[in-house]
Amino acid sequence: MKRTTFSSIIVAAALLAAPLVLLATKVGDSAPNFSATGSDGKTYRLSDYRGRFVVLEWHNNGCPYTRKHYDSGNMQRLQKEWTEKGVAWFTVISSAPGTQGYVTADQESAYKQKMQAVPTAILLDSGGEVGHLYDAKTTPQMVVINPQGTIIYDGAIDDHPTSDSGDIPQSKNYVDLALREATSGKPVSTPTSRPYGCSVKYAGH
Amino acid sequence: MRATTRIVSRDMLALTVLLLALGLLGPDGAVAQSQSFPHGTVRLVAETSGVQTAHNFTLALHFSLEDGWHTYWVNPGDSGEPPRVTWALPAGITAGPIEWPVPEKLGTSSIVDYGYRREVTPLVPLHAAATLPAQEPLTIRAEVRLLVCKDVCIPGKTQVTLTLPAGAQTPVLDQAQLGLFASARARLPQAAPGNWIFRAREESDSFVLSARTGKRVTQAYFYPLEESQIQNAAPQVTVSEATGFELTLRKSDQLAKPVARLKGVLLLAGDRAYVLDIPVSGSSKGA
Repeated sequence: MKRTTFSSIIVAAALLAAPLVLLATKVGDSAPNFSATGSDGKTYRLSDYRGRFVVLEWHNNGCPYTRKHYDSGNMQRLQKEWTEKGVAWFTVISSAPGTQGYVTADQESAYKQKMQAVPTAILLDSGGEVGHLYDAKTTPQMVVINPQGTIIYDGAIDDHPTSDSGDIPQSKNYVDLALREATSGKPVSTPTSRPYGCSVKYAGH
Repeated sequence: MRATTRIVSRDMLALTVLLLALGLLGPDGAVAQSQSFPHGTVRLVAETSGVQTAHNFTLALHFSLEDGWHTYWVNPGDSGEPPRVTWALPAGITAGPIEWPVPEKLGTSSIVDYGYRREVTPLVPLHAAATLPAQEPLTIRAEVRLLVCKDVCIPGKTQVTLTLPAGAQTPVLDQAQLGLFASARARLPQAAPGNWIFRAREESDSFVLSARTGKRVTQAYFYPLEESQIQNAAPQVTVSEATGFELTLRKSDQLAKPVARLKGVLLLAGDRAYVLDIPVSGSSKGA
């Protein structure tokens, strides 16, 4: 009996897992809407940001690849520059409770202040709903959405898939490039790349 | 005097036995010291007692990882980072590309990585020139950078060193390392038999690999050498045929440019692994 139950669970898991892959969002697709709670306690809906460029940044404060871009101030610089230009920037934390990167709202607010991070909001996605909706695989994975609600970039933050902050000065930052090109009416020259970093610490793995 | 000498030799013998037992000393004094990185160790090991001028030789990088930790293949898959080895070689010694064993599929249902658990022993082909500068013995150094992960990931960096005698004489195989090298070679992907035929074609959202191997193949799995060619987490569907198989691989969403060749390792029926490097032809619809 036990064995039957166990195989049924595996089959169910396989059936549940398959759509995640098949329904993966792609560049050029309409960005799926979501509603999530920020570390400030407010509710954020993607649909409320139609008409603006939106950046989604998958985040895990313990991941060496995330730390590369925060300890160096690289991520904060990008956040500051683009939010000042009217871009909505959402840092998304999809780490499940008990896994690396999971934070409470208070912990995240303290971290944000300490790191001088300036995103529009930090979304606490411990159930992984937003992460799975966008098939986010790594931290930091980056998505850029245009004012019409279309995904125009999905991939790595830059072209140096390492955890060494010494690589940042000679890196080509794909998010910065996509935003620069798109805000000046040009097509995005690198619309996708392999996202690098730590795996997103989803629940149930 | 005699008593003193005997004590010294006995101590030397004890030291030698200890070093041999630790695998630190080869027959002719090749020294391979294990170096630590977070949750593992790595050592550089020689197959023979020394280096012969104008000959090829092989070294192994033997990695040991603590239980539960893994590191990555050349293509790490959806997350992670491949190990990077930077050589510092004496004049007259050159190293070829590292030969990595067949990886394992790691990760979860939605995030699939390619790598190794417990132990992995990539092999390094090297060549010694006909004349070596008189800097004997030779010291070979490698800086190793790698990422080790369990539920969390930690970057590691260390340097391994190996000192070997060099000369015109034929070196002998290090008996203590025969097992290590034999099992390392057994884990390398092999060249496919010459009479096998592979073809790959591109469909709208997949690559279809068809193989004529002369016998029925029930299960095949393709490890792509290049990142972002296929969706690592998508199921690979094997259609078994009387004289081979057809394997469907879902294209990556991150395909930046057309895929001209499929390169990687093909694992058949869970055990035999072969090197695959074949051109991809256009959609069958046009043919």
